[in-house]
Amino acid sequence: MSTIRDKLREYRTAGYYTEFEYHWTMAVDLDRCTGCEACVVACQAENNLPIVGEKRMRQGREMKWLRIERYWDGDYPDARLNFIPMLCQHCDEAPCEIACPVFATYHNQDGLNAQVYNRCIGTRTCAVYCPYEVRFFNWFTYTWDEPLEQQLNPDVTVREKGVMEKCTFCVQRINRAKDLARDEDRRVADGEAQPACAQACPTDAIVFGDRNDPDSAVSRKLEDPRAYKVLEELNTHPSVVYLKNAREPLAGHEDDDHHGEESDSHAASPVMWSEESSEAVA
Amino acid sequence: MSIGVFEAARPVIKGLIIAVLAIVGAYIGHWAHGAMLNDYTPVQPIEFSHEVHAGENEIPCEYCHSWAGRSATAGVPSVETCVGCHKGLTEVRDTPDVVKLFDYWERGEGIPWVKVHDTPDFVHFRHKPHIRGGVECQTCHGPVEEMVRVTRRVDLNENLRMPWCIDCHTEEDVANGRDCLTCHY
Repeated sequence: MSTIRDKLREYRTAGYYTEFEYHWTMAVDLDRCTGCEACVVACQAENNLPIVGEKRMRQGREMKWLRIERYWDGDYPDARLNFIPMLCQHCDEAPCEIACPVFATYHNQDGLNAQVYNRCIGTRTCAVYCPYEVRFFNWFTYTWDEPLEQQLNPDVTVREKGVMEKCTFCVQRINRAKDLARDEDRRVADGEAQPACAQACPTDAIVFGDRNDPDSAVSRKLEDPRAYKVLEELNTHPSVVYLKNAREPLAGHEDDDHHGEESDSHAASPVMWSEESSEAVA
Repeated sequence: MSIGVFEAARPVIKGLIIAVLAIVGAYIGHWAHGAMLNDYTPVQPIEFSHEVHAGENEIPCEYCHSWAGRSATAGVPSVETCVGCHKGLTEVRDTPDVVKLFDYWERGEGIPWVKVHDTPDFVHFRHKPHIRGGVECQTCHGPVEEMVRVTRRVDLNENLRMPWCIDCHTEEDVANGRDCLTCHY
């Protein structure tokens, strides 16, 4: 007889889903990224993200499911700026899913890290467990001044106070693509489901698709030798893959193995945001 | 002396507390009964009778609610749709509700219908997959063609609460029917 406790243990065992129906994956080519933040704006518009204002921003309560992080290469004046778009990595072994006491966050059969707003009780444990700092808490019920509430996306819930939220890989668009595919009794074709950020990207740096399909654009990106995952060493198995920046090294920095072919991917992957790096940027 | 007064008043205070609790309980119970456990029959701006239109005249549901098979929402017909038929129906032109309809038409206003079957904002119910799966409208909405004023019947759909959805999704073995992201996103 299986008790609730057994069910919980089964659920929380790593790799609950061994095979995914679709395995939605995003590839971000950092060589193509110009840091224009069109994806950030597109995400904001698509997913009903509130503008929290200057005061809340300073308190670290901004809502940005997708943000562009900046990293400096070299010292002034021979400095160069690198960008890395950071969003929910939809980890296959997500730390946040282990944390949630009420299963408001879980992994579904499409490899998506789901966040169920109506189940969330706002313990914020998931945000603590997330190594990528991409979960955001609604400290207030944010409102939109007239007539801005007219531009809210009806396909996305407007979140209330006390609820955790994060990037959903635009699941409303995925659901729509699946619905259209169901009409014709076929699988979703490559490029049919596009999140807002991938659609907005002017340089096509963001590519989204199904990893289970070997011919999809994202599967081809994964075979690129530049591919790496952020904080891979934590064994979170992220679904977002970054393609390393492969520019010429700066003059005077040829010795840095940051851009060398033989360097391991960890050394080349940017470090996470920290106090030191913020001071360096400032 | 003061202790003595308090001691004397104790049964009175106890009685008061019980009375307050009873009143609050009755109030909450009454509210819960009205909000969750009752049929819901709002009065509409025009006494539109589904019994006459869908029942006697056998107009199919999707003639007016034409988006049900194509999109998430079934939609209510525009005033234009109503007037399109009623312009030719001179024998009912003088009934009070048709006069009201033509008033809205001449003012160029929409009719502020009251929504009967509603789900919370965090539920994204979609009509299209249900129509595609062959679910009858009456399964969720009840025998609308027999209703003069549309009622949300609690005995039929448990006021559209989630266990009722999940029961059907499990019975019919819907693909990903028990996944949260199917409805909540």
